[in-house]
Amino acid sequence: MTNAVPFLLGLIGFGLLPMTGQDYLIGIGFTLLTWIALTQSWTIFSGFAGYISLGHVVFFGLGGYFVAFTWETLPYWLSLPLASLIAFTFAVAVSIPVLRVRGPYFVILTFGLAEFVKYVVMAVEASLGQFRRLLLGVPSLTTLYWLTLFLAALATLITFTIRSSRLGQGLIAIREDEEAAEAIGVPVMRYKTLAYGLSAAIPGAIGGLMALRTSYFEPQQVFDPMVSFTILTMAIIGGSDDARGPVLGAAFMTLLSELLWARAPQFYLILLGVLLVTFVVVLPHGICGLFRRRSVHA
Amino acid sequence: MLHRRSVTFGLAFGLTGALSLPVRDAAGEEPPVRIGFALAKTGLFAAATPAQLNAYHFWRDQVNEKGGLNVGGVRRKIEFVEYDDQSNTGNAVKIYEKLITDDKVDLLLSPWGTPSHFAIVPVLERFGFPVIGSTASSVHIRELKVKNLWFVSPSVHDKLAAQLVQMAKEQNVRNAAVIGSVLPQGKEIKRFLVPALEAAGIKLVVNEEYPPDIKDMTALLSRVKAANPEAVFVLSYPSDSILYTRQAKEMGITAPFQWLAIGPTIPAYRKIFGSSANGIISMGHWSPAQSRWARAKPFYDAYVARFKEEPDYLDTVLAYMSCEVLEEAVASAGLDKAKLREFISTSTFDTINGPVKFSGVENTTTPVGFLQIQDEKFQIVWPAAIATATVKPKSPW
Amino acid sequence: MSGFFEILTSGQLLLAALITGTIYATVGLGLNLVYGTMRLLNVAHGEFLMLGAYVAFWGFTLWDVSPFVSAIVAGILTALLAVALYFGLLKWCLRNPRMRKRIEPNSLLIFVGISVILQNLAALAFTGTPRGYQYLSGVVSFGNISISANRLGAFAFCVAICAATLIFLRLSIVGLAVKALIQRKEAAAIVGVNVTRLEFFSLCAGFATAGVTGALVSMTEQTTPFMGFPFTIAAFIVIIMGGLGNITGGIFAGLLLGFIETYGVALTSASWSSILLYGVFLLALILRPEGILTTRQAVR
Repeated sequence: MTNAVPFLLGLIGFGLLPMTGQDYLIGIGFTLLTWIALTQSWTIFSGFAGYISLGHVVFFGLGGYFVAFTWETLPYWLSLPLASLIAFTFAVAVSIPVLRVRGPYFVILTFGLAEFVKYVVMAVEASLGQFRRLLLGVPSLTTLYWLTLFLAALATLITFTIRSSRLGQGLIAIREDEEAAEAIGVPVMRYKTLAYGLSAAIPGAIGGLMALRTSYFEPQQVFDPMVSFTILTMAIIGGSDDARGPVLGAAFMTLLSELLWARAPQFYLILLGVLLVTFVVVLPHGICGLFRRRSVHA
Repeated sequence: MLHRRSVTFGLAFGLTGALSLPVRDAAGEEPPVRIGFALAKTGLFAAATPAQLNAYHFWRDQVNEKGGLNVGGVRRKIEFVEYDDQSNTGNAVKIYEKLITDDKVDLLLSPWGTPSHFAIVPVLERFGFPVIGSTASSVHIRELKVKNLWFVSPSVHDKLAAQLVQMAKEQNVRNAAVIGSVLPQGKEIKRFLVPALEAAGIKLVVNEEYPPDIKDMTALLSRVKAANPEAVFVLSYPSDSILYTRQAKEMGITAPFQWLAIGPTIPAYRKIFGSSANGIISMGHWSPAQSRWARAKPFYDAYVARFKEEPDYLDTVLAYMSCEVLEEAVASAGLDKAKLREFISTSTFDTINGPVKFSGVENTTTPVGFLQIQDEKFQIVWPAAIATATVKPKSPW
Repeated sequence: MSGFFEILTSGQLLLAALITGTIYATVGLGLNLVYGTMRLLNVAHGEFLMLGAYVAFWGFTLWDVSPFVSAIVAGILTALLAVALYFGLLKWCLRNPRMRKRIEPNSLLIFVGISVILQNLAALAFTGTPRGYQYLSGVVSFGNISISANRLGAFAFCVAICAATLIFLRLSIVGLAVKALIQRKEAAAIVGVNVTRLEFFSLCAGFATAGVTGALVSMTEQTTPFMGFPFTIAAFIVIIMGGLGNITGGIFAGLLLGFIETYGVALTSASWSSILLYGVFLLALILRPEGILTTRQAVR
C-alpha cells in the first residue's frame, strides 16, 4: 500500500492546480498529464512485453482524427470515448499481422504503420477537400484538464493493476523469453493482443483531447513521429517496468522542456539526445531502476 | 557503478539548475516593449523559417538603432520573446497562448506558414490580441470573420490564378501544362487556375498532380515535353521547384513561359542554378529596383550588408512588411488593443512594398504580382503598374 | 502526342530510375554494413549524410573544392566520427553482456539520441537556412536521353562504390572475412577472423558511405540540418526489403525502390504513391520469414 500514498498525493496535487486560476500553469499540467497518460499506456504493451513500439502516435492520431471529424456532429463527451474505442479496435484488428513480427523488425514496423495511416488519412482528407480543420467552440482548458487528469489517473491505475496481475506476469514472461513462456502455457497471442489493444485505448482519447486543446487538426501534426519518440524517451528515462516510471519520465522531461526549450531550443534537443544515450547505456531501467536497486522489491 | 550514476545525475540536474538562472541585462530609460512570436528553429520547417526570422531580427535591430519603437509618442527598445515551435502547429498554438497569458507580451508577431496562422486564430480571438499576418495566403481567410488578424500577402489564390492567366494571355499563350503538388497550396491554386485557363481560352494540354515528397519528375516532364505547351505552371513547394528546374533543364523543356509557385525566391535556388534559372517566373511582388517605393532599396542594401546574401523575395519581404505595419500602428495607437484594431483596419501603411491597406482581413492595395529572374536578379514583371521590367520568354537552359 | 506507353519505356525514365535507385542502394549499403556486422540500427544514418553534404557545400563555397573531392574528405571525416563514437561509446556497450543481448533495440535508441544531437548541432552551427551551390550543372545528352553532368557524376560515383563493395566482399580476404562475419559471427571467430577489428572497419566504412553520398547529393538538393531523415527512412526500407545484413539484396532493393518511386509516379495517382510505398514496406516486414531472425538469436 506504499504505492497508494504517492498516487493519492499526486492526484490531490494535480487536482488543486486548476484552483490557481493560472491558465499557463494549467496548460503545463495538461501537457504533463497527457504525456503521463500516453507513456503509461505505452508501458502496458511495450514496457511489459518488451515489444518496443516506435509508432504509438498512430492511436493518438486516429483518436484525434475521429474527434475532429465528428466535431460538428457529436458532442465531445461522446466522441472521446468513441475515439478510445476506435483506437482499441484498430489495435486489435492490426494485431494479427503486426504482432507476428519481433525485435527490431517490430520497432520499424510500428513506425511504418504510423506513417502508413498518416498518409491514408491525408488522402482521405484530400479527397474530402479538407486539409486542416479548425475546431471552434471547444470546451474550456479547465474542463479538458479534468478530463486529462481522469485519463492519466486511469492509465496509471490500469498499468499498476496489470503489473501485478496474471496478464502482467505473462507479458513479462513473454519479454524474457517468448518461446519459454509459450511452453509453460502462457496464452501468448491472446495476452499480446489484449495488451496491445489496451495500450491503444487511452491514447485514442488523449488524441481527441489534444485536438480540442489546440482547436486545430492537421494530419501531419497529429501523426507526428516526434510524439512516438517522446513517449519512448520518457519511458527510457523514467523506466518502463512499472507504473511509476512513466510519471517520473514525463515529469522529468516536461520540467526540462519548460526550463530549456524557450531559451535555447537546439540546446534543449541536444541535451535530450545526450540524456537518451546516457540512460540507454548507463541506466536502462530508468530513474525507477535506480530506486528499485535500493529497495527490496519484486 | 554507483559513482557513474551519481555523476550522470549530478551533471543532468546541475545543468538544468544552472540554466534556470535568469540572464537579464539592465533595461534602458524606458521599459522595453516586449514582442513575442513562435518560429520553427528545429524540425522540418527550420529550413523555411530563417527568411522570416531574419526579417524580424533585422527589423528589431533597425528600430532599436533609431532609439527604439515609437509607442504612442514614447520611444522604447524592442525586446523579442521568441520560441521554437519545433515545426509543430499545435505547439505554435500553445506558445501564443503562453505569450499572451504568461509572458504577458505587449505585442505579437505572426508565425510562419498558412497552417500556423490559421491555428492561432482562436487564441487571438479569445484574448482580443491583434496580429499582422505575414507568410500566409489562402481563400479561406475570407471565411475567417476575425477581428484580430490581417494578412499582408495579396496572393490569395483565386486572385492569383486570375492574374496569372491574364499575364499568360498577354504573352499570347495558347496552351498550357499544369502540374501541382497535392498539398494544400498546390491544390488550392489548381482549383482556381484550371477553370480560369479554360475561361480564357487557353488549352490545357497536361493537368497532373504529384505526391508531396516526389523524388523524380521524369515521367511527368516527359508528358509535358511531349505535349509541347507554351506555358508550364508548376504549383510547387521549394524542394519540388528545385527538382523541377533541374529535370526541366535536363529534359530540355522549352516552353517560353514557366511559372513556379514557391521556391525561386529563396536565395539558395539561384545559387544552385545560376544563369540556367533566368526566365523562371514566380510568386512575388517586390523588388529593390522599384524606385517608387522609397524604402525598398535602403532595406535591400542594409539587409545584404548584414546577412551577406539577398533576402527571400517572398517570405522575408512579407515578414518585414508586417513589422512595418505594426510599427506604424503602434506609433499612433500605442499598445491599446482596441485602438490598434481600429487603426490597422482603417489606415493606409507605407512599407518597403509600397502602400498597404486592409479591406476586412485582406490586403487589397498591394497587387498580386509576379517576379521573373533576369540576369540572375529578380524583376517585377506583373502587373504593369509596379513592374520593373517586361516579361521575357524563358531563355535556353 | 507521345503515348503513355512510349514514356513508360523511354530511356530517360529508365536512367532516372537507375540513378535514384543507385543512390538509394548506396545509402542502404552503408546501413547494411553496420547492421550486418554489428547489429547496430543506425537511425542517424541520414545525419551522417547531412554532415557530408555540409562538407561539400563549405568546401565548394569557401575553397572552390570540387564536390567529388569533398566526397572523399566527407567520407574520411564521417569515418573519423565513427572512430570517435566507437571508442567513446560503442566499444563499451558491446563489451557489456547485458547491452549486447539487446543490442538492436538499444542501438536504435542510442542512435535516435545521436541523430537528434547531430541535427541540432548542425542547426546551431550552420543555422537552418537552406544551402545550395552550382557545380557541373551543364546538361549532357546521349541521343534521346539527357542528364545534368553533376547527377551523372554522382551516379558514376555511387555505381563505383557499390561495385567496389561487391567485388571487395567477394574477392578480397578482408572482404570475405566481413562476409563471414555478417553470416556467422561465432563461426567466423573460430576460424580466426579478428572480429573486433573487422567490426570496427565495417562501422567506419558504413558511416563513410553515408558521408560520401551526402556530398554527392548536395550538388542537386538543398542542404539543411534536417535533410537526413528521408534518407534514413529510405535506407531502412532498402535494407528491410533486401534482408537485414544482406549486402547484395540491399543493392537490389535500392534499385527496386528507385524504380518504384520513378515509375510509380507515372502509374499511380499522386495521393496514393506514399500509401503504396509504405504499404509495400509493411507487407515486406510482415511477410518476412522470421526464421532468419530467430536463427541468429539462437546462434548468439
